[in-house]
Amino acid sequence: MRASTLSEAVQAKMPERSGVESRYKSMARRQTSLVTPFALFAVLLAISGVRGPALFTANGLDGALIGAAPLVLGTLAITTIAIAGPAGVDLSIGPAMTLINIEIVIELPKIGVTGPVAVFACAIGLGILVQVVIGTIVALFRVSTVVVTLAFYLFLDGLNTVLLPEPAGSAPTWLANWGSESSLLSPVLYVLIGSFVLWALISRTTLFRNVRLMGADARTAFVSGVHLVPTRIGAHVIAGIFVGLASLMYTGLLGSADPTAGSSYTLSAVTALVIGGASLAGGRAKGLGAILGATDIWLISYVLGTFNFGLNASYWIEVATGGVLVVALLVGSFLASEDLVHRWPMRMFPGNRSR
Amino acid sequence: MAILPRIRTTLAYQGRAAMAGVMLIVLVVLGSATVSGFWSLESLRANLLIASFLGIATIGQTLCALVGGLDLSIAFVVGAANIALLRLMDGGIPVGFAIVIVLILAAAVGGLSGVISSNLRGATLVVTLGVGTALLGLVQILVSSSGVSGGTVEGTVPSWMQSLTSLDSPIGIAPCVIVWAVLAISTILFLRRTWIGRGLYAMGGNQVAAERAMIPTRSLWILVFSLSAVMAAVAGMILLGFTGGGYSGVGDPYLFTTIAAVLIGGTSLVGGRGGYGLTVLGVFDLTVLQTILSGFSLSAAAQEAILGLLILPLAALYVRSPHPRMEI
Repeated sequence: MRASTLSEAVQAKMPERSGVESRYKSMARRQTSLVTPFALFAVLLAISGVRGPALFTANGLDGALIGAAPLVLGTLAITTIAIAGPAGVDLSIGPAMTLINIEIVIELPKIGVTGPVAVFACAIGLGILVQVVIGTIVALFRVSTVVVTLAFYLFLDGLNTVLLPEPAGSAPTWLANWGSESSLLSPVLYVLIGSFVLWALISRTTLFRNVRLMGADARTAFVSGVHLVPTRIGAHVIAGIFVGLASLMYTGLLGSADPTAGSSYTLSAVTALVIGGASLAGGRAKGLGAILGATDIWLISYVLGTFNFGLNASYWIEVATGGVLVVALLVGSFLASEDLVHRWPMRMFPGNRSR
Repeated sequence: MAILPRIRTTLAYQGRAAMAGVMLIVLVVLGSATVSGFWSLESLRANLLIASFLGIATIGQTLCALVGGLDLSIAFVVGAANIALLRLMDGGIPVGFAIVIVLILAAAVGGLSGVISSNLRGATLVVTLGVGTALLGLVQILVSSSGVSGGTVEGTVPSWMQSLTSLDSPIGIAPCVIVWAVLAISTILFLRRTWIGRGLYAMGGNQVAAERAMIPTRSLWILVFSLSAVMAAVAGMILLGFTGGGYSGVGDPYLFTTIAAVLIGGTSLVGGRGGYGLTVLGVFDLTVLQTILSGFSLSAAAQEAILGLLILPLAALYVRSPHPRMEI
């Protein structure tokens, strides 16, 4: 009961601090956050149906599943950080996934860890470790998440190349088979469904509610008795679980270790997050939005792949991802304009307020 | 009463300069102890030249940081300007005209980032990342011709552009360093002596107060991002003379080193404090650090990792936000 009053208090606070009417408005607005990813999803599906109907065969769907899975899980991971706000953009996700990819393929077999259970545990453990270090620095020193994850992007990206200068190795057979699965009812699907169930369960915990409250308004959370430091670290623990799962999927997709290829997941995941309707000011983001946003990104590259761009294919994907990111931001700000104009300059850098 | 905060501000500012200065001295001592030939004329000249590239690219980042934003598009604009200029010159457009075209396009793209992010200040980083990625992709598509990828562009760079970064010029140092010095002094004077420059500090310090003081915050925000892209384009074009060929990834190191230089100098990333003079110190710090790390024959990747680790304690010092209990 107490928790639900808290989250209602968050909702009531969002647009203005007055009245029932604004509360309904804010609830209506919450639903609009899924309009963009759904509309884009429908349009992209229609285009895919025309340009590349092979997608809708069992084989095509299976390829889509493993192709999109790393991004879907990676986006879920940074969704938690976005909710914990303010300006909680996790730029380190790409290199972090790469690091765990290298560990799974190169380092873990050295100490004899190749079985599914052990590899899962190690991947998730590493994900949590990286995220907890980031979260602890953010929480204790109150440095903006963006700056800390930026530093971690540099650190991990450099470290990856030091650990493994060239693409090498091969993933354990059971994991490598994920990438060449021919049946839809494959481990990939089960892991994905398991992750969604996990997300659904986690997002109903008190910890997660506190994370949401903290992201929406850290001061309200503080005076409501939420312990900010453990809550923020808790948000990063949740993110770490999904970073680990994302890396597993990525390793399954790749079948080997690559020190640099994973870094581009940062841009894709942030774009997927924004398409999914997450508010970068904190407090509001949906798992379903993240899943749809990530699927949209995969569909965009699939649709672009059906054109014969030849050498320019990767450039077109860059243009599309960057363009969609900016447009999604504009649409998102349009849908919640009142909120953004009045609150964002203050929310991004709380330091402005006190000086 | 007003004197007390003023003293505190002055102390904070000087303290930052002192810290960046002390770091530079420590690094120089460390460098002369560990790197052989650190003080040789060639080494100093080369360091100065490399510092000037970073220095020019960092002018924009400093301005953005002063108003409380960060520009991640600098690296992409550097690469885009680099290949676009060579392609334009190769297409028969006179050099001067081609440079003007690139500068105008850069100003337009930077302005676009500014317009989009002016209502989305919390998402500035994401906006500039998106605009930058799209821009570089687009330029690469436009630049590539049949069968030739846009990543690297072949062409002839005019000899005067090459001599701009040549180490054995008659004046002893590369002319490009003088370009940097002129730009640096102009930036410092611009920030200190013009109402626009003072307005940027006011905006970064307190957005609402700046608006109440009739400072056109939106226009200035757009101007800052436009200037940032122009400076990045200047750096990209100078790098063309240095490398002698177009390469779209030439700006990649500047994605984070510009931010690192601003941070090491002591300009606050949340706005309102610092200046380009501090950033110059930060640029020197970084350049000397890189020389030392290369002296230990560390790979570029290892240097990147160390840079990342270095940013963390500096960020913990300079970009902390107050505890929520202080915000009531």
